[in-house]
Amino acid sequence: MNTPEIRIENVSMVYSDNGASVKALDNVSIDIQKGEFISLLGPSGCGKTTLLRIIGDLLQPTSGNVLVCDQTPRQTRMDQKYGIVFQSPVLFDWRTISKNIRLPLEIMKVPREEQNRRIESLLELVGLSKFADHYPHQLSGGMQQRVGIARALAIQPEILLMDEPFSALDEFTREKLNEDVLQIWSKTNKTVVFVTHNIAESVFMSDRVCVLSPHPGRLSAIVDIDLPRPRTKEMRDWPEFNALVAKIRNSFEGV
Amino acid sequence: MSASLKSKLPVALAWIIGVIAIWEIGAWSLVNIFHDPMATQKLPFLHDIVRVMAQNWASLMDSASVTVSKAALGFLYGSIAGFVIAIVMSLSRNVERVAFPYLIISQMIPILGLAPIIYNIVKDGDTARVVISAYITFFPVSINTLGGIKSVEKDRLDLMYSYAAGKFQVYRKLIIPSAMPYLMSGLKIAAPLSVTAAILVEMLGTDEGIGVKILYTLYYGAGGATMFWASVITSALLGILGYVLISLAEKLLMPWQNTTSKRGGEDA
Ligand SMILES: Nc1ncnc2c1ncn2[C@@H]1O[C@H](COP(=O)(O)OP(=O)(O)OP(=O)(O)O)[C@@H](O)[C@H]1O
Ligand SMILES: [Mg+2]
Repeated sequence: MNTPEIRIENVSMVYSDNGASVKALDNVSIDIQKGEFISLLGPSGCGKTTLLRIIGDLLQPTSGNVLVCDQTPRQTRMDQKYGIVFQSPVLFDWRTISKNIRLPLEIMKVPREEQNRRIESLLELVGLSKFADHYPHQLSGGMQQRVGIARALAIQPEILLMDEPFSALDEFTREKLNEDVLQIWSKTNKTVVFVTHNIAESVFMSDRVCVLSPHPGRLSAIVDIDLPRPRTKEMRDWPEFNALVAKIRNSFEGV
Repeated sequence: MSASLKSKLPVALAWIIGVIAIWEIGAWSLVNIFHDPMATQKLPFLHDIVRVMAQNWASLMDSASVTVSKAALGFLYGSIAGFVIAIVMSLSRNVERVAFPYLIISQMIPILGLAPIIYNIVKDGDTARVVISAYITFFPVSINTLGGIKSVEKDRLDLMYSYAAGKFQVYRKLIIPSAMPYLMSGLKIAAPLSVTAAILVEMLGTDEGIGVKILYTLYYGAGGATMFWASVITSALLGILGYVLISLAEKLLMPWQNTTSKRGGEDA
C-alpha cells in the first residue's frame, strides 16, 4: 500500500478553559488514502469537528501526529491545498453570492476568465444561477450552505474537508447534492473527509465510514462500504445498503 | 430603503411638529401668562426666528459655509487619523497597549481648555478650527473602528486562514469590510462634533463663521435675540446635516445593509 494521503496517529485533544477540561478526542488513529472518500460519523459532541479542524490546521492536537501529503497540516495549508466547508455557511454579507465564491479564487490568484468559468458552472451545479447577484441575507439557510459548498469546490482543493455540509438541507436537496458532490469527486479524484451524523448519508457517500463514540471521542469502528460506484439513488433501497446501515447502527449500540 | 424611510417619516414629522408646538406655546406663555417684559429676548417666537433666518439667509449661509468648510477638513483629517490609528493598534498588541491609555487621556482634556491652547500655538483661526475638529473626530472614529476590527467573526478568520491568505488580504477582504458599519457609526457621532469644535474655536476669535455670528448677536445684540436664535438654529442644522450626509453615504456604500436589520456597531 502506498503512503496514506492523511495519516492520523494517536491523536488526542483536550480542551481546557479556566480549569475545566474536556477530552474531545482520545487516541484516534486513521489512515486515509489519496482519492478516498471517508466519513466521520457520530453523535453530537463526539469530536468530529475537532478532528476535522486538526486535519485542516485550524487546531493543534494535545498529543499525537498528523501528516497530510507527507508534510505537516501547516505546510499543506500554506500550499493552499485545503477546501473547507464549515458547519455554518460563513459567507461574507457584503459580497454577493458570486463574489463569495470568487473570494478564494482572488486570494489564490486564479486568472479572471477562469474564475468566471468556474463560478458559472458551480452556480449551475448548486442550482443558484439566478441568485448570483443576491446578497447572502436574501437566501435561505439551505441556499447559503450550498454557496459555501460551491466556494470550497471552486478552488479544486487536493483535500476537501466538509463539516456536516448538508445538515441544514431538506431531504430532497440533500440527496441531490449527495449525488452531485460524488459526481464532482469522481471526476477529480480528490481526497474527501466528510463529517455527518446521518448514517444513510455516510453509507451512500463513502468508501469507508469512521464511527466515533462520544465522551471522550474514540474511534469505535471503521466500516468498509463496498457498494459499487457510481452510486445511484436506487442503491438506497438495496438490501446491501440497508445491511450496512444496520451494521453501523449496531456498532453504536455496542458502545 | 424606501420602506424604512416610510416607517421613519411619521415619527420624524411628529417630532418636528411637537418641537414647534412646544416652542410656540412656551413663547406665547412668556408673553401672555407670565407677562415677562423680556419675553422676546428670552424666547422669541419660532415663526419670528424663521422669518429672520429667511431675511438673513445669504449672510447666514456665508458664515455657515466658512464653518462647514473648516469642520469638514478637520473631519476628513480626523477620520483618516482615527482609521489609521485603529488599524495600527489592531496590527500590534504592543502598540495598542501603549497607545490606548493616551487615547483615553486625550479625551479627558476638556476641549474648552485645549482649544485656546491650540489657538495660541498656531496663531491662526483657520488652522485652529481644522486641528480641533480633527482632534474631536479621531477618537470616536478610532474607538469604533477598533471595536469593529475586534468583533470580526472567528469562523470568517478561520476561513481566510484556511486559504493561507496573507495579512494584507485578510485586512482588505475581511477585516476592513466587516468593520465598515462600526466605522460609519463613529463617523456619525463625529460629524456633528466636528461642527461644534469649529464653532468653539470661532468663539475664541476668528473673522467669519457661524460661531462669530452667535457670539456677536449674543454679546453685542446685533440684530437682537431673534438673530441670535437664528444663528444657533443654523449651527444646529449644520450638525444635523453632517449626520444625514454620513447616513446617506452609508446607504450608498453598503447596499447589503439596506434590507436587513442593522447588525452591530450602531451604538458601539
Ligand atoms: N473550543 C472549545 N472549548 C472547549 N470545549 C470544546 C471546544 N470545542 C469543542 N469542545 C468540546 O469538545 C467536544 C467535541 O466537540 P466537537 O465540536 O468536535 O463535536 P462534534 O462531533 O463536531 O459535534 P456536533 O455534531 O454537535 O457538531 C464537545 O464535548 C465539546 O463540548
Ligand atoms: Mg461539529
